[in-house]
Amino acid sequence: MSDALQSLPRFLPELILMGALAVVIVADLLTQRRPLKNSTDLLNGITLVGLLGALVTSWQALGAGEAQSLFASMLADDGLLGVFRPIFCLTSIVVLLLSMRSKELEGVRLGEMLALLLTVTAALMWMAGSVNLVMIYLSLETVSVASYLMVGYLSSDRLSNEASLKYILFGAVSTGAMLFGLSLLYGMTGTLDLYGVRAALAEGTFGPGLLFVLILVAAGIGFKIAAAPFHFWCPDVYTGAPTPVTAFLSVGPKAAGFAILIRFFYLGLAEPAGGGAIAPVGGADWQMLLMILAVITMTLGNVAALLQTNVKRLLAYSSIAHAGTMLMAACVLSVEGVQAIAAYLAIYLFMNLGAFAVVILAHRVTGSFEIGSYAGFWKRSPLLTVAMGIFLFSLMGIPPFAGFLAKWYVFAAVINAGLGWLAVIGVLNAAVAAFYYVKILRVMVIDEDAGPAPALAFSRLDLALLVLLVVPNILGLLFWGSLDRVTEYSQTLLELG
Amino acid sequence: MESMASAAIFYGVAALVLGSALYVVVGKNLVHSAFALVAAFFGVAVFYVYLGADFLAGAQVLIYVGGILTLLLFGVMLTNRIYNLNLRSGAIQVVPGALSAGLVFALLVWIIQSVEWGAMDSGDPGPTSEAIGRLLMGDYLLPFEIASVLLLIALMGAAMLVRRRGKSGS
Repeated sequence: MSDALQSLPRFLPELILMGALAVVIVADLLTQRRPLKNSTDLLNGITLVGLLGALVTSWQALGAGEAQSLFASMLADDGLLGVFRPIFCLTSIVVLLLSMRSKELEGVRLGEMLALLLTVTAALMWMAGSVNLVMIYLSLETVSVASYLMVGYLSSDRLSNEASLKYILFGAVSTGAMLFGLSLLYGMTGTLDLYGVRAALAEGTFGPGLLFVLILVAAGIGFKIAAAPFHFWCPDVYTGAPTPVTAFLSVGPKAAGFAILIRFFYLGLAEPAGGGAIAPVGGADWQMLLMILAVITMTLGNVAALLQTNVKRLLAYSSIAHAGTMLMAACVLSVEGVQAIAAYLAIYLFMNLGAFAVVILAHRVTGSFEIGSYAGFWKRSPLLTVAMGIFLFSLMGIPPFAGFLAKWYVFAAVINAGLGWLAVIGVLNAAVAAFYYVKILRVMVIDEDAGPAPALAFSRLDLALLVLLVVPNILGLLFWGSLDRVTEYSQTLLELG
Repeated sequence: MESMASAAIFYGVAALVLGSALYVVVGKNLVHSAFALVAAFFGVAVFYVYLGADFLAGAQVLIYVGGILTLLLFGVMLTNRIYNLNLRSGAIQVVPGALSAGLVFALLVWIIQSVEWGAMDSGDPGPTSEAIGRLLMGDYLLPFEIASVLLLIALMGAAMLVRRRGKSGS
């Protein structure tokens, strides 16, 4: 019990989110009885305050104090959790702002959506921190259930319902497979603790049984990060879900999936080998497994994205491709790979959410998600076109935008690990990706609109949102400083236990 | 002699579980299937007793047999015309399905045979509920709380879906 009490100060961001959740639920109930004139603003405000509080506290916790295990070794409050917490908070804040401006969510009661957003943010943090098989499963399931509900939020919309159903079916199968794998692992090692699993695996070879466990767990994690061949849900769910939810799915659960991947493989199935490197234990070659997944995911995502005409579908495949790029860094088997993933996610957050912000703002005026409907945008709104250009160039990884830095980290880590062939495949993929990103820009700038269209006008909130997302992408190179702080801190990852 | 009787009971219950589970899948009548499910859940509770997990066996009976199934049966009985409803989906791709199911089965048998399981010597089975209670309030406090958050949003989601349906009137 005293252990739990001592853990509470290190648990502050999650506690703030849970407090905001309670307030939002009660406020939603009260305003349902007696609607105020601006009850939506009230609920949005409470959620925003909760998320900002979590962001500030998690930013302060970053780099303050030693790594420590919380709640009797359920969570590890180390560099990895420290880096991921602000990423989750920022994602949810941007998604909240996007949902205020989304045409799809206009006139819909958002009380439950806000409660789900707060819950899922806390659950993502639990995912990133968990070092116990029970915690891994429970937090993953909480994120999944909340995501299913968010995807199906527009219950009068057929596509949204269909997306939610598809997501549930795929999710149930893959979390079931993962749970089965975890139970087999428990049977082999007799412990739920990841450090205990590592110790037990180091003592013997487990051969085909362990490989089977790896494949099952990879299926569960692969579903969350949308890695091929567990990606089939991704395009349909991204297309059918309300766009702010799509934006959230493309960053939040993906980031947490990578955190679990690092925890499970780097902590549970490998032991420190000196100098920040790790060596797999138990005689299962999971590096090969991850390399195969990375190559399939990148290639499939990029090639399929070439054929898309719907911008949400295109961004779905592009997010699959980005997952493949980050999986490359996961094959590195040293703390450098972990740093590359963390840096990539921190930058990917701004560029991908930025692209979705433009899609949502464009949808307000065109009412369409087809790329063809963006024709003539250069004349209608140079501002939106330039912003989209910055986001897309950043996604391509072209200097001087931040996306270049993200790719730089990943490729440097991969090449340093002696996996040159993997880096070559990655570079080829980045070249393919440039085609479909440029395709969107070409439509916006060169294609002529059919008829005379009015110039677009934006509210102050839209402008603030765009500035918030554009600035980190432009000033990517100035990010060196804070990224160094982040990556330096994530070196503590492998020291605990 | 005692172990013989024990093995006989185990295999009898295993046959019951498998048989009734099979009936749940292939049975044509929904009510019959639901009752077959009772037998299957009950057999699983017997397995838990065999493993010395008394609390789990009790929870299985209370929650699955007592709670979920009763709800399911009420749902079936209160629904009109469900008796004549043919709920079986058509069987397509029987051969590939059977092949992959057989492959998975063979793979699982092979894995279970080949792995050295970290089996624990349980000794004499004793009551486990006190230890479980202590763990839930001690080492496993955080998972316990997170499970309650999960249930909260699941409840909220269920209410959300039902209410929206009612409002739209379809």
